[in-house]
This record gives sequence, structure tokens and C-alpha cells, in this order.
Amino acid sequence: MNRPDAAEHDRLHALLSRRQLLHRASTLGLSAIVASALPLIDPQAQAATPGLSDATLQAFADTMIPGRRASRTDLGNPIAPLAIAGVDTLPGAVQTDALALYHHPEIGFNDLEPTFLADLERRAVRHGGDFLHLDFGARVQTCLDGLDFSNPARVIWEAAAAVPFTAFCAAALIRDATWRQASGYRVMGLPGIAPDGYADFSYRRQMSAERTRNGSLP
Amino acid sequence: MSAERVDVVIVGSGFGGSITAWRLAELYRAAGVSPRSIVVLERGRRYRHVDFRQSMDIDHLSDVYLLIQGQGAQVVTANAVGGGSNLYLAASLRAPRETFERRDRRPGDGPPRRMWPRAISRSALDPYYGRAEHGLRVQRPTWDQVSKSGGLWAATLHSAGHTCDRVPLAISEQRCVNAKWCHTGCIFGAKNSLITNYLWAAEHAGVQVRPNLQVESISQSSARPYRFVVQADVMDNEGPHPTRAPTGHQISLECKVLVMAAGAMGTPPILMRSQPNLPSLSSQLGHNLGVNGDHVAAIEFDPGRVRSVLGLPGYHEFYKGKPITTMSYDWWVGRRSHAYDGTRFNLQEIFLSTLTNFLYDSGRTKPGGPSWWGLQKKHAIAHWSNRIELLAMVEDTQDGTFFSPPPQGDAARANAGPVALGTFNYAMSEQSLAIRAAANRVMDGIARHRGLGRFMALTETEGVYCAHPLGGCRMAESPDLGVVDDSGAVYGYEGLFCIDGSIIPTSLGVNPSLTISAVSERCAENLVARAAELGLPKRPASLRFRTPPQHIGERVVPRR
Repeated sequence: MNRPDAAEHDRLHALLSRRQLLHRASTLGLSAIVASALPLIDPQAQAATPGLSDATLQAFADTMIPGRRASRTDLGNPIAPLAIAGVDTLPGAVQTDALALYHHPEIGFNDLEPTFLADLERRAVRHGGDFLHLDFGARVQTCLDGLDFSNPARVIWEAAAAVPFTAFCAAALIRDATWRQASGYRVMGLPGIAPDGYADFSYRRQMSAERTRNGSLP
Repeated sequence: MSAERVDVVIVGSGFGGSITAWRLAELYRAAGVSPRSIVVLERGRRYRHVDFRQSMDIDHLSDVYLLIQGQGAQVVTANAVGGGSNLYLAASLRAPRETFERRDRRPGDGPPRRMWPRAISRSALDPYYGRAEHGLRVQRPTWDQVSKSGGLWAATLHSAGHTCDRVPLAISEQRCVNAKWCHTGCIFGAKNSLITNYLWAAEHAGVQVRPNLQVESISQSSARPYRFVVQADVMDNEGPHPTRAPTGHQISLECKVLVMAAGAMGTPPILMRSQPNLPSLSSQLGHNLGVNGDHVAAIEFDPGRVRSVLGLPGYHEFYKGKPITTMSYDWWVGRRSHAYDGTRFNLQEIFLSTLTNFLYDSGRTKPGGPSWWGLQKKHAIAHWSNRIELLAMVEDTQDGTFFSPPPQGDAARANAGPVALGTFNYAMSEQSLAIRAAANRVMDGIARHRGLGRFMALTETEGVYCAHPLGGCRMAESPDLGVVDDSGAVYGYEGLFCIDGSIIPTSLGVNPSLTISAVSERCAENLVARAAELGLPKRPASLRFRTPPQHIGERVVPRR
């Protein structure tokens, strides 16, 4: 992967130390990681990776949270024919519109996409070819490489991984989602909105001895 | 630009700002003076309960949350009138007495000493805890009101020979419908957030609360009795497509007393940006940032074992109830040989959000395979309803430092989304790492006890995920060790106060909102006592601090 130009690189380094980035915080999903990866953008990657496509992003999302084969997402968007490897029987991240979330302006992944896809394809070649045409096992090996701490661009991979989790586990593109609309919620067993709450929320019995009289330690 | 002159500016409308506003309002009313000259500035917009939604869609998240990604820590903050109280999970606990006696600290952090100022101990704070509990209407749930997830945690601990307590909550049992959607704002008005008590009461009494104003810097005024000039950007937070960025318009306020209450992520950057105008600020400013020892994990239960081992009628209902109802103190109490050495922690059952799925390993990892993504992880997600999440609140050290203030606000925001880039680093000390490892071992052992479940550890990270930022302007006995004294008064600047989570000097072992509230009550009382010398109305002898009245407002009423 080409490095960003020196001046830009130095400027960003002043703000964020790369070494510390790679040892930094947990990954709550969402685009926190996208934001933290911005300093690693490779400005040369766009020209170097003209053939990379949305289908590859979908294939990556399917490797993070695999699903059953489908032709349309929850929102009715098309799914690339080769994107889903079909290793699970339940819907996966592709079906929950991970691709649309990659391109959502409030996520900001578009800026990272060329750099990410360039590194993805470079690593995929070692496992047999372009990522989209690899079988699931080879896709997993490619992602293990990319998400290894030895990869200096790992933070970009974490950002890319955060998006399918957000699409699947938070139904991030569905307002007031329920499990009827959001297949991720259905898989999780989460009903979604609950405007009337739940009457059977408690076992209604004492479960243990308590240390305190009022809940706080003295 | 000419500055508007007022008596008091309060920057931020969270616990510290709202409590201070209400206590000052009481002073003014008792003195026969209108509180209109007390102004609260809030960067976020106003919300009614019915404006919140039970949704994690990106637009709602962008409205109410700000996730600040620093180097080594990710911090969740709130963005609204009422601050974090709109989104918090309402666990309202007094910190154990040992917390205030702690002497453990990060290597290099000054001489051996008690980390809290001498004036502050648990017994000294107890009256203020009581005051805050009344104001926030804290109640302890009965066992009938404990969530199944909390009951399961208690039963699991009991089976393993441990105790487990019910957690006092700032939640109305009368209005709560146990939908477990506290984390995106309660639509039922059941959470006793500040917009239902302290802040509402202050505004109702006459205090001005001005939303969508982000304070950027402060400077000193030469026009006595005014001491400070506050510059704020007008924020574009309203309408269908807000940029959530400054509009380009600014306002300026000149005040006699300035109370910084923007929280641990907000107050230190504002003061750091203002350092050229306030050169005597402590060199400790921006240091000693903490995460309250937050350390999250999860357990996935085997419903069959829940029935056979615990005698419960199964479990598949993580999404029901309240987000926090039980916790254990067994790894805190009785550790006398460990006095003040940073080896204690408490374990609390919690529901953070569905997004925290991303934080844990799968509990099913195969050698050489991925731990937190892939097919095994998918299988773990498919059993999400059998899960509980755990928050270990450990005795760590305050390991963070702002290395520079961002140009505006508390972090650099690239777009209107919910994420910003923080200008702080967080490199955990050996103590902070070791205590988290100890908590992991305990949680793992409990999860495996009699085959009840799988432990799912925070995955391959040396950093922290934090919803409880503390410090950055910590209180201390002297300015070489901290930014403020035990009353929140900033060393070196008469009339300048910090009254929020930024002054808390250690992790607490419990969720911090009630301790921030108690400390704020104490600081506000001190400010009222000193009011006359600062140019505010003199405290009348007849003034008695009252519990703020409650106002629920418009809310969703469930059909049942």
C-alpha cells in the first residue's frame, strides 16, 4: 500500500500517533473506528484499484457476519450474486443493508473505501485470487490477515468490520425497527420497539442474599 | 461583538450544571432577586420525552449521542439539554467509603497521598448523597421489579456462593414499562432525568436555559464586578437535516461567576483552549482523565442449565426489564489486606445496547479462527437473547491525557454522524490492566460454574470502552496536584468553578452519576455560601435547600 504524501502524513501524525492507534480502544462498532482510521487513508489507492466494487464490500460484510443467500436486502436493495457465500442458514449482514450503511454520509466510510479495498485485494491474491471469487474459507483467511495486529492498516479493517455489525445489530438504516422489518433483530431474538413494554419482565422472586440494607455499600 | 452581561454562566446542563442552577435559583428566590441572570448554555438541543425514540437508527444516534474515539479509549457522551441524564441507565449508588480513602495512583502521579482532598469522605458526602437521592427520586426496586436478566445474574451468583444486591435506580416504577430502551432516551418519562427535576425546576424558577450553544473559550473581563467573558458558537442542531456543526454565528456573555459543567470530555478542552487567557491554570489541566474503571463483558447462558441448575423457567429475554437491576460487591467487601491498593471491583448486570455485540468474542472460538467475527460469532449473535452483559467497575488509575484541545467543541467531528475524533490518549497502567484481568478471571469462573454458560470477553483490545468519563480537572489539595479545590473552585481564578465529572479524582467502584450529583450538591452549597463575596445575592439566613419539584411533561402512555 502506498503511503500518504509526507506532509499530510506528518500533519496527521501530529494529531494521532499511529502506533497508539493500533493499540487503541475497543471497538464499539459504528463509525468510531471509521473516524479513527481516517489518518491512514492512502490517496493513491483510488487509481490503483479501479475494478473494486460494491460486490466486494458485500462479500467482506458476509465474511464478518455470514448469512444465507438472498437477492434483496431488508430495504429492497440488490445483492451481488457472488457476494454471499451461503455458509449460514439465517440472514447475515449483507441482507441487513451493510452496503448502504458503508455509503451513508453520517458514517463516512466512502473516504476509506479505496484504501481498504486495495489492501483487501492485495491480501486476497495470496489466498487464490480476487476476494469476491474466493470461497468462504479463503475469505476468512484473507480477513484474518487483514485484521492481524501486524497489519499497519488494521484500523481501516476494523472500521470496515464495524459497519456490518452496526447494520445487523442496530438496524441502523431502519427507523423504529422491529423484527418484522429488520432481519438482524429477528436473528438476535430482539423484538425492537416496545411501546407497551413487557409485563413478564421479572422472575418476581428473591434470587440471592444481599449484603446491604439499601443497595449501596457503607 | 458586545457581550451580554449576566451574573452567572453555567456551561453544560448535565448533573453538575443542573444542580448548580437549581441551588442558585433557590438563593436568588430567597433573596428576592429574579434568577433570570443565571444562564445555562447547552450545546445540544431540547428534547421532550416524546422526541426520543426506541431506535438505534443512525439519525437518532447522531442526534443524541457523541462517540468520541481517542487513542486507547472510546467514550460515549450525550448531546442534549439535560446532558447524560437523558441516556444514562439510572443506576444511583453511593460510592463505598474505601473509594475516598484510595492512595493507589498511576506511576509518576505525584507523591504518596490520599487521592481525594481531606475534606471529602463518604461520611462528609452522605448528606449530599441524600439530597441528590431525593432530587433524582432514587428508589430501590423490589425483587418483583428486578429484570429477568438481573435475577439471572443474582441466581447465578447465589449458586456459586456469592451475594448480589438490588441496585437503587432513578426510575419511576409507576411509569416504567420495562421496555429496556433507556439508552436512547425514555419515551415514557419514567427515567428521572434532569429535565424532570433539577433542570426543569431551575428553569421554572426563572433560570435561562439556552440550547444549541457550544462554548468554545473563555477569557478574563476587566470590567469588575464581571470576571469572565464566554464565547459560544451557535450550533445547527435543529430541522430535518442538521449539520450538528457551528453555524458561523457566535454569542458572547460576560459574567461574575462562571461554572464549567460540560463534563470530563467537555470542560478540560474548553479550559485548555482558554489557557492563553488563563495562564495560571494548573499544569494538571487535561491530565488524569479516567474511565471509572469501566470493563465490559458478557455471559451467554444455556437455557437448559438455567432450568436444571438454577430452577428458573428458562431464559430468552435479555431485552426485557430495566437495563441495570443487580450487582455484587463480593470482590470489594472484606478485602482488608488490600486496603487502598487498587485490587477491588464490583460486578453489575447491565444492558448497554445491541451494538455492544461487537465488543465481545464469540465464546466459541476455534484455534486459528476469528474470535469476534465470522461464522462462530454469527452463532453467538443468534443466541443474543440468552445473554446478559456485565460491567466490572474496577479500581484502576486515571490513565488518560488530552494532548491538545480540538479546535472546537470536545472532539473533531468530520460529518453530522455520531462519531468524533478525540484529542486524548489513554494508555493503561499495569494496575489498570491487572485489575481488568482479575475481573475477567472471576467473570469467566462464574459463567462456567456448573456449566451455566459461556464467558465472552472484551475482544483483543488493550483499550477501554467507556460511558463514564471522569477527571481532567481533578480536585486536589493543591494546584500542583489538581485543577480545583474540594469545592470545585479553580485554583488561581476567583469566581471560576468546575462542577461536574471532570473534578472526580478516582474511579468509584459504582456508576458515577450519584457521586457527581452529591459532589455537585456540595460544591453548589459552597458557592451559595460565598455568593455575596462574588457579587451575587447574599444568602439569607432563612434559606433552606429543598428538593426540586418534579415535572414529567408530555410522554408516551402505554396501552396497558
